Amino acid sequence: MNQNTDLLTLRSVSKSYGTVPVLHDIDLSIKDGEFLTVLGPSGSGKTTVLRLIGGLEPLTSGEIRLDGQDISRMPINRRPFNTVFQDYALFPHLTVSGNVGYGLSVRHVQRKEIARRVAEALELVQLGRFADRFPAQLSGGQRQRVALARALICQPRLILLDEPLAALDLELRRQMQVFLKSIQREIRTTFLFVTHDQEEAIGMADRICVMEAGHIRQLGTPHDLYYRPNCEFVARFFGENNLVAGKLGPVQGELRSIETALGRLICSISDQPHLKAAAEGASAYAAFRPEALHLADAKDTDNRFSGTISDLAFAGSSTVATIAAGPDNAAQRLRLRVPSRVDGSALRSGEAVSLSFAPHEGHLVLA
Amino acid sequence: MSALPRLSTIFLAAITTLVAVLLYSPLFVPIVSSFFTISHGSVDWSSPTLSTYVALAENHDMLVALRTTLIVGVCTVILSVVSGTLLALYYHGRRSGRSLLQFIIFLPFLMPPIISGLALLIFFREIGLERSLLTVVIGHTVFVLAIVYRTVLMRLQSMSRTLVEASYDLGATGWQTFWRIILPNLSSAMVGGAILAFALSFDETMITILVTGTQSTLPVRLWAMMRLGFSPDINALVALILMFTVLLCVLAARFLIPRQVATERT
Repeated sequence: MNQNTDLLTLRSVSKSYGTVPVLHDIDLSIKDGEFLTVLGPSGSGKTTVLRLIGGLEPLTSGEIRLDGQDISRMPINRRPFNTVFQDYALFPHLTVSGNVGYGLSVRHVQRKEIARRVAEALELVQLGRFADRFPAQLSGGQRQRVALARALICQPRLILLDEPLAALDLELRRQMQVFLKSIQREIRTTFLFVTHDQEEAIGMADRICVMEAGHIRQLGTPHDLYYRPNCEFVARFFGENNLVAGKLGPVQGELRSIETALGRLICSISDQPHLKAAAEGASAYAAFRPEALHLADAKDTDNRFSGTISDLAFAGSSTVATIAAGPDNAAQRLRLRVPSRVDGSALRSGEAVSLSFAPHEGHLVLA
Repeated sequence: MSALPRLSTIFLAAITTLVAVLLYSPLFVPIVSSFFTISHGSVDWSSPTLSTYVALAENHDMLVALRTTLIVGVCTVILSVVSGTLLALYYHGRRSGRSLLQFIIFLPFLMPPIISGLALLIFFREIGLERSLLTVVIGHTVFVLAIVYRTVLMRLQSMSRTLVEASYDLGATGWQTFWRIILPNLSSAMVGGAILAFALSFDETMITILVTGTQSTLPVRLWAMMRLGFSPDINALVALILMFTVLLCVLAARFLIPRQVATERT
């Protein structure tokens, strides 16, 4: 397994249902052994990508290559991929072992061999004791693990997971995230995981592919997407963010200024050549995370502006303040996140404050 | 609806009971009276007896009619379950032509049986098919097909589409998917449909009278007996048919009410 070889490549793949286009010219490479998450709001086309790869739907145009070979026309039952469906799609009339062994038995693998591998797969998903139960007798989390065991027993090159955690409650979902990630490491198989939950995506993925309206908006590591979003959509969709509109100013090495309603802000543009290249005066946003914003002290000379706290919300480990800033303290609503303290926050609603963020913690996205 | 005033609750209960008694008590009269002898045209309530049932069992014509009914029923069930299931499979998920087909399938079931029976009779005469048990079986199949088709189609529609996708995804062929996934999930609907079809065929009278040859089924025999006058073993026969039909319907319900709601679409 070399994480640098491409396992699967999508080349200008498009898909329409009738006259309604759902995917526009998608290019995507999946590396061997990686955990790739396709993240997007509902209707972004993320599930369609998964269904095209799995062979559940035909392409409208473009091609899908596996190890460099075109598999666009290969029928679903010959593709070396297996899917974990959103509703699990367990066969209700078969026991857990019947479900897990199905993929082997339709290939006429010997009974003994099937029994051995089913036991192995169930052990892996920690369901050894449930082999003789029927799906209706299992909890949601257990069903989900049966679906996973059923998919991985055929030793597919790629496992496709279609929002498999959506039906689980929060606590179970967190456990399953850790579990999925550990299984993926153990069996060293490529996972393509589709979700609309960005927290889920950050927690598990090696790389995340953000989709919107049938386009891929950005592909990168969770860290990249969080700190270097390349467009307004990703900046807003991926985690909480403050976006302040303005016009780009001159480049100063790895920094660039932007003229906004909050005055001149200086933001980092390191590793983002397209921001260096953008014309002066172009519309853009300064983006900075609520946790990057802080109460200004005497040392802070750059990116300093004033505002009024309009609301305070206690959120457990941290407290989030909503701040009205800009001219007349009304033009811009910002969010500030500070660690909570047992004796109450140092902030008070209605208080006028002076705020700042470090230039290397601010980023730019083109509008 | 706990807010209903007490008086109106009592009133509603009284009405409901009255309607139930008026509608359903006649059904119990023959059952009860079948256990008593009848003399001079009225029931003798003083001595319960099974003599009517003994008389029925010794009635040779009746036993022959019962055998005929069973043969017709079994043949009808086989024919209607096979063709109903095939039709449902073929038209499931297909839009064009489906509503027309459904209309045609349901027509004989909804039309007055005498019309269906006459249409069949004329048809058989035109194509030169002698009236026999075969024509009875065909008539019954045309009549009950709607029930089987509908039952199987409903189950198909409630089956999650991803089950079939999952089967293909795991490497199964179309044939394997049919035998190992689709058919097992339809089987209880098919059994339920078969029982209903049998119950309908068992009771069917009008079409049978029109298209049968020399042999009569149990309901036809019963009808003939009624014309000759009321005899005590009719009570026994009615009681038996009633109980048998109830039994079939209870059985059918057991197969048709889905066992595992939980696994199907959350």
